[in-house]
Amino acid sequence: MNDNSTRQISRRDFLRLAGTAATAVAATAVTAATAPEAKAAPAVQAPKWESKYSVCDMCFNRCGLIARVERGVITKLDPNPKFTKSRGMLCARGNAGVAQVYDPDRLKTPLLRVGARGEGKWKAISWDEALELAATKMKDIGEKYTRCGMLFSAGADMQSGFVNRFAEAFGSFNVTSHESLCLLSGNRAFLDTFGDVPLPDVKNSKYVILAGANRLEALVTPDSMDLISIMKEGAKVVVLDPRYTKSAALASEWHPIRPGTDMAFMLALANVIITEKLYDAKYMAERTSGLDKLADHVADMTPEWAEKETGIPAADIRRMARDLAAAAPSSMVYPGRRTSDYENSTQIRRSFAIVNALLGNYDRPGGLVPARPAGLKKVPGEPPWYDDNPPGRVDAKSVPLLFDEEGSFVLTREAVIKGAPYPIKGWFVYKTNPMATAPERAKTREMIDKLDFMIVVDITMSDTAWMADLVLPAPSAMERTDPVQALQSGAEGACLVWRDAVIPPLYQSRPVFDILKILAGKLGLGEFFDFDIESYRLKQLAAFPEAAEIIKRDGVFYPPNPPLGGTDGAAFKTPSQKIELFCSRYAEMGLDPLPVYTPPKPSPDTARKFRLVVGRSACITQASSTNNALLSEFEPENMLWLNDEAAKELGVKQGDVVQVESPVGKGELKALVTPKIRRDTVYMLSGFGSISGGLSHTKGVGASIVELMETRYDSICGNSAIHETFLSVKKKGAA
Amino acid sequence: MSTQKLAMVIDSAKCIDCKGCMASCKQANNVSRGVWRNWIKEAVPPVVDGLDGAKKLGHGHFQPGACMHCDEPTCIQACPTGATYKNAADGTVVIDPKLCIGCGNCIKACPYGARFRDPVKRIADKCNYCPERRAAGLAPACVDTCPTKARVFGDINDPSSEAAKLLAANQGKVVRVVAKNKDTKPNMYYIASTAPDGWTVQPVDPTSFDFLAGVVAPAVKLAVGLSGLGVLAMLGRQLFAGAGTHGPDNSHGPDNSRGPDNSHETDSKPNTEKKEEDGHA
Repeated sequence: MNDNSTRQISRRDFLRLAGTAATAVAATAVTAATAPEAKAAPAVQAPKWESKYSVCDMCFNRCGLIARVERGVITKLDPNPKFTKSRGMLCARGNAGVAQVYDPDRLKTPLLRVGARGEGKWKAISWDEALELAATKMKDIGEKYTRCGMLFSAGADMQSGFVNRFAEAFGSFNVTSHESLCLLSGNRAFLDTFGDVPLPDVKNSKYVILAGANRLEALVTPDSMDLISIMKEGAKVVVLDPRYTKSAALASEWHPIRPGTDMAFMLALANVIITEKLYDAKYMAERTSGLDKLADHVADMTPEWAEKETGIPAADIRRMARDLAAAAPSSMVYPGRRTSDYENSTQIRRSFAIVNALLGNYDRPGGLVPARPAGLKKVPGEPPWYDDNPPGRVDAKSVPLLFDEEGSFVLTREAVIKGAPYPIKGWFVYKTNPMATAPERAKTREMIDKLDFMIVVDITMSDTAWMADLVLPAPSAMERTDPVQALQSGAEGACLVWRDAVIPPLYQSRPVFDILKILAGKLGLGEFFDFDIESYRLKQLAAFPEAAEIIKRDGVFYPPNPPLGGTDGAAFKTPSQKIELFCSRYAEMGLDPLPVYTPPKPSPDTARKFRLVVGRSACITQASSTNNALLSEFEPENMLWLNDEAAKELGVKQGDVVQVESPVGKGELKALVTPKIRRDTVYMLSGFGSISGGLSHTKGVGASIVELMETRYDSICGNSAIHETFLSVKKKGAA
Repeated sequence: MSTQKLAMVIDSAKCIDCKGCMASCKQANNVSRGVWRNWIKEAVPPVVDGLDGAKKLGHGHFQPGACMHCDEPTCIQACPTGATYKNAADGTVVIDPKLCIGCGNCIKACPYGARFRDPVKRIADKCNYCPERRAAGLAPACVDTCPTKARVFGDINDPSSEAAKLLAANQGKVVRVVAKNKDTKPNMYYIASTAPDGWTVQPVDPTSFDFLAGVVAPAVKLAVGLSGLGVLAMLGRQLFAGAGTHGPDNSHGPDNSRGPDNSHETDSKPNTEKKEEDGHA
């Protein structure tokens, strides 16, 4: 970190000198204007801006930034060079944060629905009226259906913790986040193997396999930048993806794997590492359990077997296994982030975890490292006990290993529709958008139709807000004071950030914290919100008396980071206290204790030939940024990536409008005819085909992924499974 | 006179085509919707052998770019009003917005498509290396924001600058993209190699200036240019040019990366070449 800041300062000093020199020359050379080919330009003044630290809100990465404010208006967002997790960068989305603040589509006042649900007829009401109504409805629902009759859903936001705190105080177990539509399968798998969810230390790695992680487009800091750095230093990065993504283009090696066969690849890696004894036998004996059972399990899963499943040549699989092992422990199978792919995604990711275990890379540089200590204190509150509440979440016991604090959105939705095991009639939503991110939009709509009252707090009229009874305008992140958040950065340690408002809230917007505090007061729960954010932050930072001043000075604080290897000799938090190659808990629960490969199911309908895969680009984060004026210049619509040979058979040409159909929905969008995708697969960018009349760039533009996706979920943890849908594709107007 | 030579040294192998530089430039410089001061181009990936004789795409490459602030620019000659000139102090090619009449001659004269007519401001525009930011001690917006630090900026006449050091460290391994028929001596250096090439256009000098080019002193040329009826015609052209008439000149839209099929980099008759550089720092 010292190195980085020194370099930054010296570079800035140089530039400052350069600017001075230019000014001096200009002052003596103004008369050169008659010679147009070389004259001195007039001196340029530095902008009269104030520079204020904040934290980006355009995705979950939370990159440190510096806002340039001129006469009360944010004119530019720049990276904070002291925020090393992002390697001193701000991506296109971060830069477009200004367009988000000044988006003409922003919500400006509380709005009450006056037409039919989803019709888009609203009446502006006062905050007093809005909050009184919200409190009354929540109280009524709590009394009539128990407190668990209210569902709370909050997105990845620095104030989302307050929504969970409110739900707890209010007395509802029913809380969902975006995570059960995203990353829970991966977390489940690594937790059940290692006893924690380790982080990749890409920066020090010599060999990385990215299976289905498009990390050079779906940016994760610092991993995305570090992948480029390590390749410059000679490290190998292998990408497995049915699509020629930018990650595939720039990787050392790309294999267009058959979708749904990653587990076969991983088990073959295990086969080679075990049969050729490429592992550290002492480490495996001391730190892992179940090697013999794993060896038996993968005995027949040779690279030749895996070649038939994956389409990746056996020789390449064998070579990769040997190279991975040779580079161990500074090598890894990258765990990935979004793992909401298949109904057996937890087991697929278990196979990723097992290969990592065979590499002995846990808590080693260049391997997988346990989350670094952040030292943030919880601000306690003792929620009341409500005797009449049901015993648990509405989606409890629907799958064997639900994350109790996250739940499963698709299974909760199912329960709301059925009204069983008990009714849910109210929904409080903060900055998350299931109408655009949860598979099978029609079902989300069906769920909403079962509700008595739905409140959405957001910056703009999302598709989910469009369905609400009451919509409350939130300020953008640049207008907010936010609590401290800890961010992880591989082996480099955690860092702590907060937000202070860069500009005052625009329009009548109010932070969700204020909304919840007022509602808590009205509902007799004021004691759970008897603080302001400034005092809350000091409580969070109780372990670091110096941190507040440092965050004000630098925009970030780095707590002490103990060296790697600190877990050596300590028990893993698993039943066997070892890394569980063979998962004893799964065995007890009747689940496969070792990941059993089953080939991906073919399409049940010959008319639907193409497996739909989805993703995002470096310019958008799902539906939360596609409506941005600047980003819409890069991604104005989504197109269907269609293999060029498949397109020829269908008579589809570049840019033709195609009709796509799944068993649950339809869509129309332009075709991108390309050799960059397998013949059996089509791809769509998320975040388009919106229905909200409040989204001027995306309403009806392109097609919605969630309109098409069928409702499938991970059978172990209930995470959605969004690569299980097959589409038919035809040119619009063709028979 | 020239004490500085501001230049960009780019390791295009590090570019991930994330568009951070384009977004940052647009925001910093208030560039109108639909036009861009900088760009990222995508090379057409080679086709290589896959499994069982199948073909698959090979290694890809992205190339960030912008005005190259050439030492022998073709845009300056094309300007009838002297609005475009070379800044003697730092080597940048500058547009004086007060003198620009928006005639568009410089746009056609640039072989790199770096210039465009801003549809709102109705004058020529292009990268200026963010002089306001430099005055504030900051790097140009595209450089500051770049996630992989593919773009490096500085005074290559100053051996202690990061840009000069990078050039020195890569002596003999630096290339430039130049127009084939006219080496304009661009000040944009690519480390080791870059792709695509062959994407530049033939620079078009306004006919009325052809006979003057390289013969008459610049001041005389300016006077002749202004005295002609051509200026009136050019003014008229500006007045009637509606919003969005940047036309085909600024072809570096973000769509360049949408796929090889609609990219412009497949030209089989390249009119540019990559120039090997050695020992220029």
